[in-house]
Amino acid sequence: MGDSQYSFSLTTFSPSGKLVQIEHALTAVGSGQTSLGIKAANGVVIATEKKLPSILVDESSVQKIQSLTPNIGVVYSGMGPDFRVLVRKSRKQAEQYHRLYKEPIPVTQLVREIAAVMQEFTQSGGVRPFGVSLLVAGFDDNGAQLYQVDPSGSYFSWKASAMGKNVSNAKTFLEKRYTDDMELDDAVHTAILTLKEGFEGQISSKNIEIGIISTDKQFRVLTPAEIDDYLAEVE
Amino acid sequence: MSRGSGGGYDRHITIFSPEGRLFQVEYAFKAVKASGITSIGVRGKDSVCVVTQKKVPDKLLDQTSVTHLFPITKYLGLLATGMTADARTLVQQARNEAAEFRFKYGYEMPVDVLAKWIADKSQVYTQHAYMRPLGVVSMVLGIDDEYGPRLYKCDPAGHFFGHKATSAGLKEQEAINFLEKKMKNDPAFTYEETVQTAISALQSVLQEDFKANEIEVGVVRQENPVFRVLSTEEIDEHLTAISERD
Repeated sequence: MGDSQYSFSLTTFSPSGKLVQIEHALTAVGSGQTSLGIKAANGVVIATEKKLPSILVDESSVQKIQSLTPNIGVVYSGMGPDFRVLVRKSRKQAEQYHRLYKEPIPVTQLVREIAAVMQEFTQSGGVRPFGVSLLVAGFDDNGAQLYQVDPSGSYFSWKASAMGKNVSNAKTFLEKRYTDDMELDDAVHTAILTLKEGFEGQISSKNIEIGIISTDKQFRVLTPAEIDDYLAEVE
Repeated sequence: MSRGSGGGYDRHITIFSPEGRLFQVEYAFKAVKASGITSIGVRGKDSVCVVTQKKVPDKLLDQTSVTHLFPITKYLGLLATGMTADARTLVQQARNEAAEFRFKYGYEMPVDVLAKWIADKSQVYTQHAYMRPLGVVSMVLGIDDEYGPRLYKCDPAGHFFGHKATSAGLKEQEAINFLEKKMKNDPAFTYEETVQTAISALQSVLQEDFKANEIEVGVVRQENPVFRVLSTEEIDEHLTAISERD
């Protein structure tokens, strides 16, 4: 792809066997805004901080949580522009699968394809890895699922996970609070509490975003009013 | 021995630095500031106004050819702050894209679609080594059929947001501080208030009073959603209104 002058990989092995560009990409993710996901017994919730650079920014023009198919949603930590590229490619791949097999793409298949794209950019010529980690939440015939995909292209299924600036505190918090038989509502409360842990400033429906999917298999982003209700319950 | 700084190339092409930063993108932002121009955009209740300095470095230059304000379609305007040459290629491609959109889909390209297209293009330059990021911050303005007046700002990193008011260029931060105070309580500016807020913000931040031929002003209004560059007479009217007000 691109200019033949750059037909060599920019991500190459260091003498110690590390792929340094990927490590740097993970650092970029680690300085991004915190996001997290929790798999409940009857659904999945994903959430993120939505800290905007100024009060002059119209927060309704920004949506960090995106849906890839009607039953799969995704959130990220890291570089927003890179995320948009992955969302676009994933949506197309989901559609192509549907056109070929006449059924909605299973979550694992879509995750695998996204991961393959991210891996490509760690090996192809003249490109750098994506500076994002994704949390993919979906509900298909195999039930509720939550996957995390890293800049290297590796992916794992999680019961609960967090990424970004506050990852260690958030994960510790989640480890304590997580139970296998959690209901989706409890999971949303836990998600809010986890975000609150490392939150700078006052948490409100304007500076967080929450997406849920349950047995209805419809992924949706909560409206600010719904987030306000949950916040009130948490207080 | 580990290649701590990416072999020193992390400053030359857009690969990650050890801290996870993209130096080329950061340098592109510096290039925008180096142009020495400051621009301001303000969104009102039913209009959007953008203002920028018009610095003509040489008296022999044809003033009319010095511009940073470009119509992309009849209804969409783009204010480019930064490197003029990069701005011109971006405008050229944006015009083409908007025309194709109109042809393919049968309706005018909305503001946010254009902003997203510019931002996505900028993202490609941050990920592929063979093209450097553009040294331009673009403010796109127009009246959206559903959402009304819209102002978007796109930067070399590929970010884009809708704004109630914003600034770009040399005195960007000072201008944003000024505008944050003005827009704190979500005021719904009329057309005149919108234009005057934008112009007075620029005057305040640069601490000079302008003459009509030292600034460029572009507007879109809901009552007439065509993108228009104001004439020097119209700019003079607003400047007079501002000085009388103070």
